[in-house]
Amino acid sequence: MLTKKVAILNESGLHARPSSELVKLASKFKSDFFIEMYGYRINGKSILGIMTLAAEHGAEMELIVEGPDEEDAMREISQLIENKFVTE
Amino acid sequence: MTHVKEQTGTSITLTGIAASGGIGGGRAWVLPTSSTTVKPEKISHDDAKKELAKLDAAVKHVISEFDHLKSISKDDEVNQILDTQIQVLYDPQLLEDIHIKISKQLFGAEYAIFESFNKYIELLDESGVDWAKERMIDIVSIRDQLIKTIKNNGEELLIAENSVIFAHDVSPTEIIQLSRQNISGLVMQKGGLTSHAVILAQSLNIPCVISADWTMHDPEDFTMVLMDGDSGEIILNPSNDEKSLFDKRKTEQEEIRAETMIWAAKPDQTNCGSSFTIQANIEFLNELPRLKTHGAKGVGLLRTETILFQSKNFDVDNQIEFYRSVMDAADNKTVTIRLFDAGGDKLLDDYEAEANPFLGWRGIRMLLDKPDLLDQQLEAILRVSGDYPGKLKILVPMVSRLEEIDEIKQAIHRVERLLEIKNITFDKSIPLGIMIEVPSIALMAEHAAEKVDFFSIGTNDLTQYTLAVDRGNEHISKLYEPLSPAVWKLIAMTKSGADKAGIPVAVCGEMASRPELAACFLGMGITELSMTTNSIPGVKAILCNSSKSELKNLAEIILSINETHLINLHLKEWMQSKG
Repeated sequence: MLTKKVAILNESGLHARPSSELVKLASKFKSDFFIEMYGYRINGKSILGIMTLAAEHGAEMELIVEGPDEEDAMREISQLIENKFVTE
Repeated sequence: MTHVKEQTGTSITLTGIAASGGIGGGRAWVLPTSSTTVKPEKISHDDAKKELAKLDAAVKHVISEFDHLKSISKDDEVNQILDTQIQVLYDPQLLEDIHIKISKQLFGAEYAIFESFNKYIELLDESGVDWAKERMIDIVSIRDQLIKTIKNNGEELLIAENSVIFAHDVSPTEIIQLSRQNISGLVMQKGGLTSHAVILAQSLNIPCVISADWTMHDPEDFTMVLMDGDSGEIILNPSNDEKSLFDKRKTEQEEIRAETMIWAAKPDQTNCGSSFTIQANIEFLNELPRLKTHGAKGVGLLRTETILFQSKNFDVDNQIEFYRSVMDAADNKTVTIRLFDAGGDKLLDDYEAEANPFLGWRGIRMLLDKPDLLDQQLEAILRVSGDYPGKLKILVPMVSRLEEIDEIKQAIHRVERLLEIKNITFDKSIPLGIMIEVPSIALMAEHAAEKVDFFSIGTNDLTQYTLAVDRGNEHISKLYEPLSPAVWKLIAMTKSGADKAGIPVAVCGEMASRPELAACFLGMGITELSMTTNSIPGVKAILCNSSKSELKNLAEIILSINETHLINLHLKEWMQSKG
């Protein structure tokens, strides 16, 4: 199991489009992916779960990844968040 | 016309806010409000499998509907919304919640769906975040579609083609679905002009009126309703005269639209082959698709302050993202970025109201006092310029003294040196221009021209500063007269100053969007005009149908007239002569 603390860097926060990008990426991996924020844990492959976090700019959260491809998953997921959800 | 009065007795006119242009007419169809309630129905252990199968079939059905919508939609905005909807239907947590409610708690599929969705809907509602509330409408609509699918065994409600939809509020998904049913118009009781629903209605060409309080009537009682998405009018049970009036408007709009398409695509050339360039004034990203459809050759004025106000922390990266989107939409044509043209009121926490904000701390005056803000914007622009060499220009607002030009140049050098140290490529000869909107700089145009690469005339402010008339003051609004000979004189002075130094002049104010005034500018030799995208085809229609000598003649006459009303009269006559 890998864990990592990250912050939401893009101005408008984790709104619909970034949430959608995050789910799209996380769903590619076999590993389970959870996000913990304000002591609340949600399934990182759940678009509704992520949207209900309503994480704004600057919000801090912990990523938890566990499974056969956890290293790749953690690297790519944290990269997406650090890149402010800009893909390509 | 007495017979009109008799008939209007039976028709009811409502007014809302015009949100998406065009005329709609036909039968009224009231969209049921999303007040779906489902009773907690218990099932037996044996029935759980059947209910799970129902759930499965409904999810598959709704996904296939969204997939179908995606396959026929070419709009990025629409596809983005549909992608998120599809993700909701695949949401592993949501589906697990529903499964548990069916197989463990033994609730029927409808109630299991209803309850599971509601948990998330409540959380979004409580989040207090604006975008979350907007998305909520969408999620409620997915919930209701699933439930409806189970209730109706997958049959979709059919709406007669060409009907006008009356709704309380509409989700983006519902709009997309309605558009597929070829509805003729949409009337909403709620809604904001910048809401997703309205943006979609515009991009799907559905006439739409919002904030229309129609609920005291039952529109379905009437055999016919009309609505005008350009004026905001809605007529229930229209009289014959009203019908023919709307028919006429519709024909006119269609003619104008058809004309639009013709002129948008024509080359920017007078009928004697003399070239000009029409660019667009852009403020919002959703205006960008119109660059192409309305025939703009790039962006002559990109307003950046609105973007700044919309976000508290408009850093370099966010700006770069915005400028890039504009550059990409401009399709290899030039884009002129105007630096933040803002006053202190919208930027600073310690702002104190100014007695004369228009004569106050705004534009370049404020930017030079806030080097952090200025440097951030210059850095973002320069970084983007590296990828689009020769395509980006910088425009400085509210310049009133020559010294300010030197100061802004120093700031640009400062940022350029910084980028050089970091080894970041940028356009080293990025053109720098100033807005001519303060009379003091128009009077000094000859000297200013030696310091910059281009001028852009902002006619709105130039008019109010020249005439000492505050546009917003209703007591004197009649005195606000852009056609004043004094304004024309300053424009001519600006042009001749620019000519001496050999730099180009553009007009980006509202005056440029009036065909007869655009004609004068072209006649004065100002060949670059920038205006709102919607005005471009109409202006081109006149310019392309005139000859250079005819326009030159017109400009000479206008510049020789000393009274505003005579200028007005002459322009009116000239337009009539153009048919």
